[in-house]
Amino acid sequence: MTSNEPTALLQAMTRRRFLRWLLYSAAAASTCGVVAFAWMKRSPLDQVAVPVGQQSLSAAEYHLFRRAAAVLLPTEGRVFAPLAQIPVLENIDSMLALLAPAVRDELSIGLALFDHGALVSGWHGKRFVDLNNAQALDYFDRWATGNTIQRTLATVVKKMVYVAYWRDANTWPAIEFDGPVSDRWGLASLGNAPLPTDQEKRS
Amino acid sequence: MKTEKVFFSDSVGAEARKEGLDVTQGRTLSGDVNLSADVVVVGSGAGGAVMAYELARAGLRVIVLEAGPYVPSSEFSEDFTESLERLYADHGSQTNKDGDLLVLQGACVGGSTVVNGCVSFRTPDFILRDWQEQFGLSALTPEEMEPYFRKVERNLSIEENAGHEIARHSQLALAGAKALGWSVKPFKRNIRDCALTGHCLSGCKTDRKQSMLVTYLPWAVAHGAKIFSDVTVTQVISRAGQARGVIAEAKDSSGTTVANIRVDAPIVVAAAGAVQTPLLLLRSDLANGSDQVGRNFACHPSMYVGARYPEPVYAWRGALLGVYIDEFLPPEKGGFILEAGGLGAVEMTLITEPGSGEAFLDYMEDAKYYSGLVTLIHDHNVGRIGWDGDNKRVDYQLADVDFDSMLRAIKAAAQVHFAAGAEEVFVPSTKPLRIRSVEEIDQVLSELSNAPQVLRMVSYHPQGTCRMGSDPDRSVVAEHGESHDISGLYVADASLLPTSIIVNPQVTVYALASRIADQLIARREQYLGNASKGSGESG
Repeated sequence: MTSNEPTALLQAMTRRRFLRWLLYSAAAASTCGVVAFAWMKRSPLDQVAVPVGQQSLSAAEYHLFRRAAAVLLPTEGRVFAPLAQIPVLENIDSMLALLAPAVRDELSIGLALFDHGALVSGWHGKRFVDLNNAQALDYFDRWATGNTIQRTLATVVKKMVYVAYWRDANTWPAIEFDGPVSDRWGLASLGNAPLPTDQEKRS
Repeated sequence: MKTEKVFFSDSVGAEARKEGLDVTQGRTLSGDVNLSADVVVVGSGAGGAVMAYELARAGLRVIVLEAGPYVPSSEFSEDFTESLERLYADHGSQTNKDGDLLVLQGACVGGSTVVNGCVSFRTPDFILRDWQEQFGLSALTPEEMEPYFRKVERNLSIEENAGHEIARHSQLALAGAKALGWSVKPFKRNIRDCALTGHCLSGCKTDRKQSMLVTYLPWAVAHGAKIFSDVTVTQVISRAGQARGVIAEAKDSSGTTVANIRVDAPIVVAAAGAVQTPLLLLRSDLANGSDQVGRNFACHPSMYVGARYPEPVYAWRGALLGVYIDEFLPPEKGGFILEAGGLGAVEMTLITEPGSGEAFLDYMEDAKYYSGLVTLIHDHNVGRIGWDGDNKRVDYQLADVDFDSMLRAIKAAAQVHFAAGAEEVFVPSTKPLRIRSVEEIDQVLSELSNAPQVLRMVSYHPQGTCRMGSDPDRSVVAEHGESHDISGLYVADASLLPTSIIVNPQVTVYALASRIADQLIARREQYLGNASKGSGESG
């Protein structure tokens, strides 16, 4: 398993599947009334500025991952490096910047779906970014056992947050992970292997 | 139009550089560049490097074009996430269409051999027999392949792990298998004086791993071969059924094309791996009279079955891969193997679903107590590689019969863990599933179904997309590696394998490429005329 798997998973979400899911979502939302849906999808965070200099993250995505990290990594009072001291959002931003444009486009749709899905999934009536901690954790856990799209999105968001945190060397001492060792151990390079000497005669 | 003169040195009395590699980096080129050679090799991994060396040693003028960058081993970081982004295809994000199978391939000079785990198996005899019976590969007998296996094993310092190379995670697997009475053996690996860093998958910073980067590629250069990095081949050129060379693009680090390259050569060797080679042939609209190019994709979908032990394991310490359990290798016994392997902090977050929030941090707090077994199965060739517009597409869904094999492999891994004293086993699924005793195994695994995004799978061994065979209607290339349709077009990578081989395929590819090189050299007059005969090294 690898760190970029989460973003890779987004290739699972073909446009056709998204359209179908969005259709279902829209149908469900219509039962609440179009006006109410439009009102509910707004978040106070929409008015909150995000740091400048993001390569890839939109403002909405920034708020989503910030909320997800806070819920998924409650490091306060534990042995782990405090979340606030690890550049999780910056790491996610640079990971996303490496994606192929087509995959990145689908990821944008998927993240918007994950955020807005809380309006109808669980009948929270508000976006993921506005759920309280208990609701947000419950949202992750229910999507982890939901349909294919839900499992994919919950997995993507979680893995991106985990990788963005644990790729930072400051998180390693808490679990006694050694990280790079060759330079620390003073290992010498053996260089290239010598040319084979016992070469067989050509036919 | 700029024509670059490439000077090929005399191979007699050749000496390899002590370290590093002479590579022309494509990012330094500009405009239109025309080159000519006897052979152009597409890809510098297991197949391409061996072909380049053997052909250059025989006196042929060889150019190697590698799409990935040249990264000297001194620049390897031993940081897995950084390595994925720098050394692997699609920055480590290559996946199937459903997104539940990560397909990891090296994308740098030396290819996957730079970032693999050094595991070195010969092709099992029963696999070669299947190939003879099902695909008419009558010459590929164990006896025929023996000298090729022996040769690459000697050249790459392939030896069985010594006692100090069996790290704690592998000692546990050894103990578990022995307690169950199952066959377990130390791996053979292509490594010299392993430094036990555990960072094989990030490249070997001190050149102990005998990858192509420090063996066949510098040897090929010593015999006059020229290597270009950052060069993506976009088309194989042919005329009247004969290969004529390739068209390629040199790119800078941002992926922008900086030069258009044409290499005129009567022999083209496609060795870009089982994903890129079929894509190249499909884009070239060549060699596909059988309609088999890109079909028959298999990949050894693997999982990491982790477990928590009562004593610290530190799964990141010591040689990455120590022992393997081959009790179930024969297809009639299951057709899978279990490999004891280490892993680092980031990978630990990805192998299972421990729950969210505090539950996840509880899981990570015990990281040093975890160990694991990698499962490899004999999957069927049900996948397909192709184009979706300008994007590559990897179609692969587990066949139901292969899903059953995956479950049997997880069950066997759990049995080994419990026999070795594990307290609980983590199911490699997207659901939060744990097994706490042998008695629970079947019940917990019954919660899994064969659907997308259920298992957490990785493929390190894509194969089968330009299969060998004697029948031009059912295969892409002949037994000697040459296209059935295009004279002078050879395939020399894991695309060749007609079926999955269960075990790690690097030695199979090295050996097949060595044999194909011999076959090509024996036919070289056909492409180059009499002038080619007698040049180069003869012993």
